[in-house]
Amino acid sequence: MPVEITGAPKSSWADEVGEELDLHYEAVTDENGVKTVIEHIINDDGKKVKVTRKIKKTLITERVNKAAAERKKWAKFGEEQGKKPGPDLSTTSVGEQVFLKLSSTGRGVETVEDIEITKKKLLGKKILCRICKGDHFTTKCPYKDTLPPLDELHIQESKEPSTTEPAPVEAPGPGKYVPPSLRGDRKSTGESYKERRDDATIRVTNLSEDTTESDIHELFRHFGSISRVYLARDHQTNMCKGFAFVSFQIRDDAGKALASLNGYGYDNLILRVEWAKSSSSSTS
Amino acid sequence: MRPILLQGHTRSLTQIKYNREGDLLFSSAKDHVVNVWFSHNGERLGTYNGHIGAVWTVDNITFFNSLSPSTCIAASKLLLSGSADNTAKLWDVRTGKCLHTWEFHTAVKRIAFSEDDTMALAVTEQQMGYQGAVAILKIDSVLETGEQDEPFVINPEPTKAVVAAWGYLNKYLIIGHKDGMISQYDWKTGQKLNSKHPHSDVITDLQMSPDRTYFVTSSKDKSAQLFESNTLNPLKKYVTDCPLISASITPIQDFIIVGGGQDAMQVAGTSRGKFECRFWHKILEEEVGRVKGHFGPINTIAVHPDGKSFSSGGEDGYIRVHHFDEDYFKFTYPEFQHIGA
Repeated sequence: MPVEITGAPKSSWADEVGEELDLHYEAVTDENGVKTVIEHIINDDGKKVKVTRKIKKTLITERVNKAAAERKKWAKFGEEQGKKPGPDLSTTSVGEQVFLKLSSTGRGVETVEDIEITKKKLLGKKILCRICKGDHFTTKCPYKDTLPPLDELHIQESKEPSTTEPAPVEAPGPGKYVPPSLRGDRKSTGESYKERRDDATIRVTNLSEDTTESDIHELFRHFGSISRVYLARDHQTNMCKGFAFVSFQIRDDAGKALASLNGYGYDNLILRVEWAKSSSSSTS
Repeated sequence: MRPILLQGHTRSLTQIKYNREGDLLFSSAKDHVVNVWFSHNGERLGTYNGHIGAVWTVDNITFFNSLSPSTCIAASKLLLSGSADNTAKLWDVRTGKCLHTWEFHTAVKRIAFSEDDTMALAVTEQQMGYQGAVAILKIDSVLETGEQDEPFVINPEPTKAVVAAWGYLNKYLIIGHKDGMISQYDWKTGQKLNSKHPHSDVITDLQMSPDRTYFVTSSKDKSAQLFESNTLNPLKKYVTDCPLISASITPIQDFIIVGGGQDAMQVAGTSRGKFECRFWHKILEEEVGRVKGHFGPINTIAVHPDGKSFSSGGEDGYIRVHHFDEDYFKFTYPEFQHIGA
């Protein structure tokens, strides 16, 4: 009986007993270009095993220098003499993923303490940017032109008397949840490091598929220095799953970001920003 | 990005260097062996065995076909190494064969081909009553006759030389001293042309820009600095919080990569040793990012000539080859975005 190589096996289970099983496999390619190969093989113990493999092929063309191409053909020498081409696992391995987050935050070495000290100094002077709420004059704001809709949002919330907007929304009314960072009675100083870290994380949901880590960085770094961005990605397609976590170094910055960007239209979607649920604290 | 880990050395790395095209990566370590790797996949092409002491330094020929055609060994295939066994060796890159050995009184700490590859400089250690020196080796005559001339020797003053490099068109030598001084020497007469004292501690690395018109130094005084070659005028300064052992200039993006870390003795009491490659903006003198990975101080950093990858060698014996992600090339400063638009 000829063996069916491709397509779903239509034969009944009774027919599957036999050596032909070795060759049974099916291959399906989905819309993302991921090829799924399912094989039924008999292993060494004589048991039937189903093997599922997912393969994605990408063709990359690379141009190399002629001299460099010539050198690739060289025979190995020294301690490598006689070894077959290709990286040897005893000397070459692939390390864990490392990240290089490029950003222009902070001149030189600046610790969290330094930032807090400067912020305290500025508290009395009331220098507040109307655009990004940073500790500089509005005219000097580097993000003046980057996010126009954000400006309007900020103006609404800003307590500057010079704004033409009608009565700005003061502290939210009673009954509405106010994050601890926005409650006036609480100081961010004196908290333990761990607490601070947990508290300064916000969750962003309703992100579009194309969002990348750098987009999130771009969007949130106006509010303060970001210590970590986690963007949930689909394992197969490597596309955004729609949510991300952003950790700030200072909780107040996270609060600012939350207040400004919750409900902000980004990439045709309305963002939802909330405090990340933490195992140790009950803020959510 | 996923770094490629190269584990070909059993002791700490001393220097790594890319060849001109960047397809090969040479590494020297205290384990007496020089290795050569393919930089794109981390495959080891071979080893250069022969030294009987820690190898401190390595340099590959940079220029094409500059040697006279009568030499049987094709140019661009030569490698120099300097070792604590008081020798410098010239190797055939392709076969790993030692072509010549220069003997010195003391260890060779730094070696570099001149821009036309007919000469090389070798910085020798101040030891056993011998003065620290910079020797000028004639490569072309050695290859032609197989015999070496007595090398011309410069004795840098007032403190010994630790690092050195050739200026553009071999006009002069730039020497970094133990006390943090940098100086310019005429290599024909041995005269000092100029000197500055910008660092307060030993200079650990000195790397030239591709056109050799400026260079970067790193020092144990926790800073790296950029200088103009001709005048030795300081251009930029990058101040960090840990002693620096290496600094390198990146093409494509205007960055300086610096690395270092606290000595093993000092790190014992603290939780972390700051063993990261730090990226500084070359012009704005501002730190822009870090890459973690090493378990010990970073002894040497080299950037691929095309600027798309870099490697670091550490006290932990590993070389980590990093190929930059796409994000790296897209990065622009918010302040500079209007220029690009």
